[in-house]
Amino acid sequence: MKNPIHPAAASSQAFQIAEIRPIERLFEDDEGRDRLEKALSRYPEKRAALLPMLGYAQERNGWVSDESMEQIAGALDLTPAYVRSVATFYTMYNKHPVGRHFIQVCTCISCHLHEADEVFERFLAETGTRAGEVSEDGKYTVIEAECLGACGFATAVQVNDRYFENVTPDQIPAILDELD
Amino acid sequence: MSDATNYVTLTIDAVEVKVEAGTTVLQAAEHAGIVVPHYCYHPGIPSRPAQCRMCLVEIEGQPKLQPSCVFPAQDGMVVYTTSETAETARKSVIEFLLLNHPLDCPICDAAGQCMLQDYAFETGQLRSRYAEAKLVLGRDRVADDILYFGDRCIVCTRCVRFMEELAGDNALVVAQRGHKAYIDTFPGKDLDNAFRGNIVDVCPVGALVHEDFVFKARAWDMDSSPGICPGCSTGCNIDINVKENQIVRTKPRLNPDVNSYWMCDHGRRHLVMANRGVRAEAPLIRVDGELEPASWNEALTWIAGRLEAGDGAAVVSGGAANESLFYMRGLLSELGIDGGTFRVLQGEEITLPGFPKLKLRADRAPNVTGAELHGFKRSDELADVPDGGVLIVLGDALADAPADYGANAGFFLCVGSHLYPAMVNATAILPMTSVLEMEGTFVNYEGRVQRFHQALRAPGVARPAWMSLSRLLEHRGVGEGVLDARAAFQTMAAGTTGMDNLSWSGLGLRGELLSEAGQPAVAVE
Ligand code: SF4
Ligand code: SF4
Ligand code: FES
Repeated sequence: MKNPIHPAAASSQAFQIAEIRPIERLFEDDEGRDRLEKALSRYPEKRAALLPMLGYAQERNGWVSDESMEQIAGALDLTPAYVRSVATFYTMYNKHPVGRHFIQVCTCISCHLHEADEVFERFLAETGTRAGEVSEDGKYTVIEAECLGACGFATAVQVNDRYFENVTPDQIPAILDELD
Repeated sequence: MSDATNYVTLTIDAVEVKVEAGTTVLQAAEHAGIVVPHYCYHPGIPSRPAQCRMCLVEIEGQPKLQPSCVFPAQDGMVVYTTSETAETARKSVIEFLLLNHPLDCPICDAAGQCMLQDYAFETGQLRSRYAEAKLVLGRDRVADDILYFGDRCIVCTRCVRFMEELAGDNALVVAQRGHKAYIDTFPGKDLDNAFRGNIVDVCPVGALVHEDFVFKARAWDMDSSPGICPGCSTGCNIDINVKENQIVRTKPRLNPDVNSYWMCDHGRRHLVMANRGVRAEAPLIRVDGELEPASWNEALTWIAGRLEAGDGAAVVSGGAANESLFYMRGLLSELGIDGGTFRVLQGEEITLPGFPKLKLRADRAPNVTGAELHGFKRSDELADVPDGGVLIVLGDALADAPADYGANAGFFLCVGSHLYPAMVNATAILPMTSVLEMEGTFVNYEGRVQRFHQALRAPGVARPAWMSLSRLLEHRGVGEGVLDARAAFQTMAAGTTGMDNLSWSGLGLRGELLSEAGQPAVAVE
């Protein structure tokens, strides 16, 4: 990597990502309005739809940006600060931009016994990133994950919503090819 | 059911207390004079999250320690607040709170008044067992005048809940969780609420600090006097903190009838501004066309001999104390001048939703009701001065007067604290203490008479206006000069409609309402 970015600084790199992947506004098209309406219909009060809407923001943009939080706050009659409080409570909402393929490698005990560390290192090497960074082409972010619940199929890797099981380091170039 | 159902009797640390049913153990202990250490509980904030676990106490028959801030007192209950288990729990809580705490008391503005410092000291943990690197959060800004020192924060959420439950603005929140949790606003959306300053007062540690106070004074360097905020007609009860005769900070003082535990930010700013301005420091009399300094006796004799009854005008201030207004009225009667007016600066009215009785009121003066009670009329304009007549001005009423105001008067007496351009036209100037430099009373919007104490030393030989005016009257052969505030008050109360029911000591620190005869005409909400 030419300009290595420390993971801690990743959040300040949003402008770079925005060029590759602009943040979509959430509730200005039929899809967004539909999702909001469905979520609202399930709960007695608007505030309860907050978690599903944060999830939707992440589904749509890969991460939950300040802009998305403000849009959700507007839709649910909450303050943006309150939305941020909830979003930051949960670690699995990404508060930083991530690559189009968000690769989570389980390094918990079972996977750890099955070369998970090597798998993780290999993903970093192949994508040219450090943990948590977005690759320069905007395609990849690789992080370590706590148990993915697939201990019987170590090493488990989750890419966006898709699971790869029994992953070994030498399969990784093929997995990355398949993702494109 | 019998009357007894409304009360329960319990034993706390061997002290028997009888309290109303529904009282928490922590409040019951307070009745018995026992303070149970606590952080998240604040008597003025409705919610009781019971999250800090500092107030755990042992209760006979309960399998575990119980948070006394929410646990209701029950009949026959036996509570131990200092048993070994309770002490051990408290010690652990403190140890956890100190894990990542920077221990920067030597540069912390809360040192000396900090609940963490106090309890850490009490539980006697002089060494940390934590060998790992501390988490460092640093310093942030949550409002243009409030700083947040994240490392000192114990995440009691009092500030968050004040903003949500009292100010009605959920703009301050806990971000992250667990040991990484900290208090924050949304990026780019600093607090702009008119009551935000209270979050600094509810913070039990030094995490929230007013920027205009930061590093200015140590707790033990300051004197504190109970006062009444002169910022508007609400008359919030406050403590004025003074260092080297400068106001460095004001804090709300509990008065459930007026302001509860709170005050507004206009009031705080207003008071810090009181340090400024050019003061009148000595009596001045006009000799051969020039204002010359004179001693009090000289000046009073000189003025008493030259003031003549006749046509005249009087201007007072809605910020002057009742006692001063009373003797001003006395002087005017002696000179045969009726009426007299005052102007009141108007501003936006802002309510604290969680305690709606507290409003920053449109009348930005503390004693409008008092001025009216003493027969002065509110007016938009400065009074016209009859050519060659007498003009008497009391208080800070000339700040914006045209420079030639009063030049046409035959005799222009000004009893004032600050010097303003129009005062060059005065025939005599008597230096007056500001209301922060004297004792006296105000009447607030609902007719509550409240006493304030002296917070600052007066400059030069400035004296309270009730003193100089009563002495001036004495020089004219009317009554006797009064030299202490109690006597001034008692003379006034006896001679003023609506006040005859009041006594100086009876006012205490909470004030008393005027009797019906003196109640302000406007209905109180
Ligand atoms: S800033 Fe103060 S009041 Fe707010 S949570 Fe932290 S310690 Fe409590
Ligand atoms: S509401 Fe009025 S009296 Fe109370 S602090 Fe504000 S300005 Fe002062
Ligand atoms: S004061 Fe009771 S738990 Fe915090």
